[in-house]
Amino acid sequence: MLRVILHRIAGAVPVVLLVTLITFGLMRLIPGDVSAALGGVSSTPEQREQIRHNLGLDRPYYVQLVRWYADLARGDLGRSIFLGKGVTESTFERLPVSLSLSAYSLIITLLLGIVSGILAALRQNSWVDQAAMIFAMIGISLPNFWLGLMMIVLFSVHLGWLPTGGYVPFQEDFLGWLRTTTMPAISLALLQVGLLARITRSTMLEVLRQDYVRTARAKGLPNYLVVWKHALANALIPIVTVVGIIVSLLISGAVVTETVFSIPGVGQLLTSAILNRDYPMIQGGLLFVALLLVGINILVDIAYAWLDPRVRYDGG
Amino acid sequence: MAESAASLEGVASHGPPAARASRRWETGGRLLRHRSFQIGLGLFLLVALAAVFVPMLSGVDPNKLSMRTRFEPPGSEFLFGTDNFGRSQLSRVVHGARLSLVIGSWVVILNAVFGTLLGALSGYFRRLDNPLMRLNDALMAFPAILLALGVTAVLGRSIPNVILALAIVYLPRTARIVRASVLVLRQTEFVQAAIAAGAGHWRILRRHILPNAMAPVIVQLSFLFAYAVLTEATLSFLGLGAEPPTPTWGNIMAEGRNYMREAPWIIAIPGGALAITVLALNLLGDGLRDVLDPRLKIQQ
Amino acid sequence: MKAWMRLGSVAAPAVLVLALASPALAAPFSCPKKGGDLVFAGEAKVNSLDQMASNTISTRNVAMNIFESLMTRDENFNPILELADSMTESPDHLTYTFKIREGVKFHNGKDLTTADVVASFDRYAKIGIERSNLANVEKWEAPDKYTFVIRMKKPQPTFIEDLSSFSVPIVIIPSEQRDADPLRLEPIGTGPFQLVEYVADSHVKLKRYEGYKPNPHFEERTGFGGYKVGCVDTVTYRIVTEPGARVAGLETGELMAVEDVPTKSQAALKNNKNVVLLGLQNFWIQIMLPNTSFPPTDNLAFRKAVQAALDMDEIMDAATDGAYRLNVGFQYPGGAFYTDAGKETYNIKNKELAKKYLQEAGYKGEPLILLTNKDYTSMYNAALVVSEQLKAAGINAKLDVVDWPTSVQRQMNEKTGWNFFFTGYGTQPALGALATMKFFTPPQNVYYPKDGKSDPDLVALYAEMSNNPDIAGRKAAFAKMQQVILERVYAVPFGSLTKVQATRANVKNFKPFRIPRFSNVWIDQ
Repeated sequence: MLRVILHRIAGAVPVVLLVTLITFGLMRLIPGDVSAALGGVSSTPEQREQIRHNLGLDRPYYVQLVRWYADLARGDLGRSIFLGKGVTESTFERLPVSLSLSAYSLIITLLLGIVSGILAALRQNSWVDQAAMIFAMIGISLPNFWLGLMMIVLFSVHLGWLPTGGYVPFQEDFLGWLRTTTMPAISLALLQVGLLARITRSTMLEVLRQDYVRTARAKGLPNYLVVWKHALANALIPIVTVVGIIVSLLISGAVVTETVFSIPGVGQLLTSAILNRDYPMIQGGLLFVALLLVGINILVDIAYAWLDPRVRYDGG
Repeated sequence: MAESAASLEGVASHGPPAARASRRWETGGRLLRHRSFQIGLGLFLLVALAAVFVPMLSGVDPNKLSMRTRFEPPGSEFLFGTDNFGRSQLSRVVHGARLSLVIGSWVVILNAVFGTLLGALSGYFRRLDNPLMRLNDALMAFPAILLALGVTAVLGRSIPNVILALAIVYLPRTARIVRASVLVLRQTEFVQAAIAAGAGHWRILRRHILPNAMAPVIVQLSFLFAYAVLTEATLSFLGLGAEPPTPTWGNIMAEGRNYMREAPWIIAIPGGALAITVLALNLLGDGLRDVLDPRLKIQQ
Repeated sequence: MKAWMRLGSVAAPAVLVLALASPALAAPFSCPKKGGDLVFAGEAKVNSLDQMASNTISTRNVAMNIFESLMTRDENFNPILELADSMTESPDHLTYTFKIREGVKFHNGKDLTTADVVASFDRYAKIGIERSNLANVEKWEAPDKYTFVIRMKKPQPTFIEDLSSFSVPIVIIPSEQRDADPLRLEPIGTGPFQLVEYVADSHVKLKRYEGYKPNPHFEERTGFGGYKVGCVDTVTYRIVTEPGARVAGLETGELMAVEDVPTKSQAALKNNKNVVLLGLQNFWIQIMLPNTSFPPTDNLAFRKAVQAALDMDEIMDAATDGAYRLNVGFQYPGGAFYTDAGKETYNIKNKELAKKYLQEAGYKGEPLILLTNKDYTSMYNAALVVSEQLKAAGINAKLDVVDWPTSVQRQMNEKTGWNFFFTGYGTQPALGALATMKFFTPPQNVYYPKDGKSDPDLVALYAEMSNNPDIAGRKAAFAKMQQVILERVYAVPFGSLTKVQATRANVKNFKPFRIPRFSNVWIDQ
């Protein structure tokens, strides 16, 4: 197991290096002068030159690159122009918001996705199956920001049940947190529910056709026990790999959902950074999210190896 | 790892080129009998025909302001209503459909060409594989929407830039699928035989490998079309797509957001059109997958 | 204006002593109810809380509840003392001596002394947006802990008008903040509310400053000054850019007061017993400002073409959904300085004339970039209509839509590729003609003259406006200045906008003012 973990982490090193290079390169391609934005009102050309100097932007690219890595090694992603705070600091400040929303959404996804997938597989070709699959299809086709907006129109504007946006930290007021995150979590979950339901259904169908499940049934084991003990345990393996994809979809989906519901999470931080041309923030934020996803994928692979001992890493 | 095993059988069953022509008809027939393919095709044609013919027939400028007819709800005079500037929403939404389809098509074409090229190179020439796939992995480490946002932020707002950004974002995903098929095909007997017979690399790729690797690519491209349309709408909605007042669906919805209370149709209709288009493409993709490549799993 | 003119005429003959020790007629204000969280929804993101380095309404909305100045304006925009206990103007008009109030504490617990006042003036002179207000000041000094003296180079009858301006006021900050970079100020002031949390794109949280000492010279809040008390425990200033969401939030009670209710929603809210609508006529002048050092707007004939093509009724109607009045220039009818000088340049709506000017300018279809924002719907809508009207006249107009803070930031630099910046002039017209015209003089020069070379006519007229001891002469200079600005198209004012704010009915004493004041407002539970 340890070998698997080490191997997987070692395999991620070149990717991480490339990710940092890409982020560095992307920001150097941006036209326009960052120092003007940083200098603020009526800053003189000399002041702007000073800012460029302080940021090291007047140095050759390879010097900037070395400096970029040196800063990264210290966990320093630069300083946001708009917020006037460290990028790492502001990202970590907002991380709990995004994580709590993603976790809520993930719970909805797992519950609805796996349950409807199993039901559909057990009642293959029945109306339950068809209804579940139509629901799943609609789920993967509805734009989540549009769904969010329509929910706001219905539940907030017309019915007045839930707030139109904003965020209450769950540690302060759990009910308030539920009120502010339920609509975003649902609109965010729908795509993933659809995906998961479809995958659960197809893997369950495959597993249910396997000999050992048939044997278990033939032995007269109650159906729920067969499903629970034999089928689901085996179907879980491919599902775990999908959860990796789901988490990464949740994180990208959150970018838009947080903007629609004005939730001050990492996603909104990044979109407003992009709209505000807050280059250090864009650079640091992109890198942060990419590294987060690389980390999640490593975890998923490890979980996969742990669940399915047949998986071995021989390289390649 | 998982999908290369999965596509092994699907790809191998396609066999050598000789049997291809007659099977093409059969595949077409099976597609047309496929339920979700039928529905998908029907919906897609509906959107495409509206996008082509409605602007041609009505000739209403989607950006024409008319202060006297503001906030008209959908009805007989204005089928989709008007917005806060009195612009015809019918005209704006069908122009939006046109833009969505044009952008989606370009992204698909660019991916078909460059994704196939990269995937084939990577899968066939083992020395290129490692560097290309590491780059691929690195690009895929960024969530699609964020990378697209980042690239448009660098390139600036315009339709060609949006196409370029989306093509770049989805290229690694296409390349990876092509590569998986090529890897498998390279080991098949007929390819090994061709190599032994001394056929040139390009000839083998062109004649033996790529035609047989196309099934998963076609399936992927139909889903890609859906993602491209969806992501483009998201970019414009966030204010980083084509510059306003270009009537992309995302732009219309972003503007309509200010009036969601009084004029909810401004958001509801383009969003519905977007959902129908994406649904159509997903259904088409499902049909294609079931018929062309039954073992393929849902790809991201 | 009027009251100040009265002050001015009093000042002329002899020594002016502005000590507002009003006799204690009534007991000063005390909160009928204390406690609660006042949730206020603003429409635009708060670009910064550095009140010296930001001239936007969104900054003032929050920062004016945190910071205080030596002088400010009352409910009718007349100058009053705030942190100053008294102010004495010498007979030669060259020395202003302020005594500051004793026992005032900053939010960090430090006592306010003149050392802080000196530091604040030092920082303002270096980075303050309207530092030209101090151009005529020879020096400032603090002879003792509570005495602060300003010495002028030459007499300037409008100096107190400048000093008390809340456009970009010289707010008093702790002396340790003297060297804080622009937009990097630690928001520590002496006001009735102190900062708890500032999340630039989402919300700002304030809490009552328990160490606040109300100004004993007043009984009630007036303008930004007066006798201020924090009744609510906390204020949550939320940024809710969609008008529909603001209205919905107000209806459910999730928001307790909102800035800007769209015209279309007002009818429904009028019948809602739980909501009170507060109208503010002449809230701002909807306007666009050219960048005259970037082609094609560097060409006067081209700018005249733009001016000739516009239909102001259509622009204002779309911008405000009908809540507007056509208005020439930079003051409102009824105001002391109001003039319609330059009216022949307004609302021409003549495409042919525009095309003639375009020919004269040698225009060949270069793109014209209209820089606007999504936060203020009125500005976005105005820009969209302008772009269509210009296209109809043959101009290749393009919209560049960003966030409010970004558009402000880009507008501050003439080299960021924009031709017209869309905004609203609210505070300055309210402060008076002088404050508005200051925008067209160095170092601000909102029209961005090429190579920073200001139009000498405007500089001369502004000096006349500032220094002419005769009010009629100052008025004439203003009229002439407005004329020149409009003729040379250094600004394109569209008309005046009526803003409607609203509160829940249980929010008391929230009087409509240009900027929301959270002091002396209480919530009836």
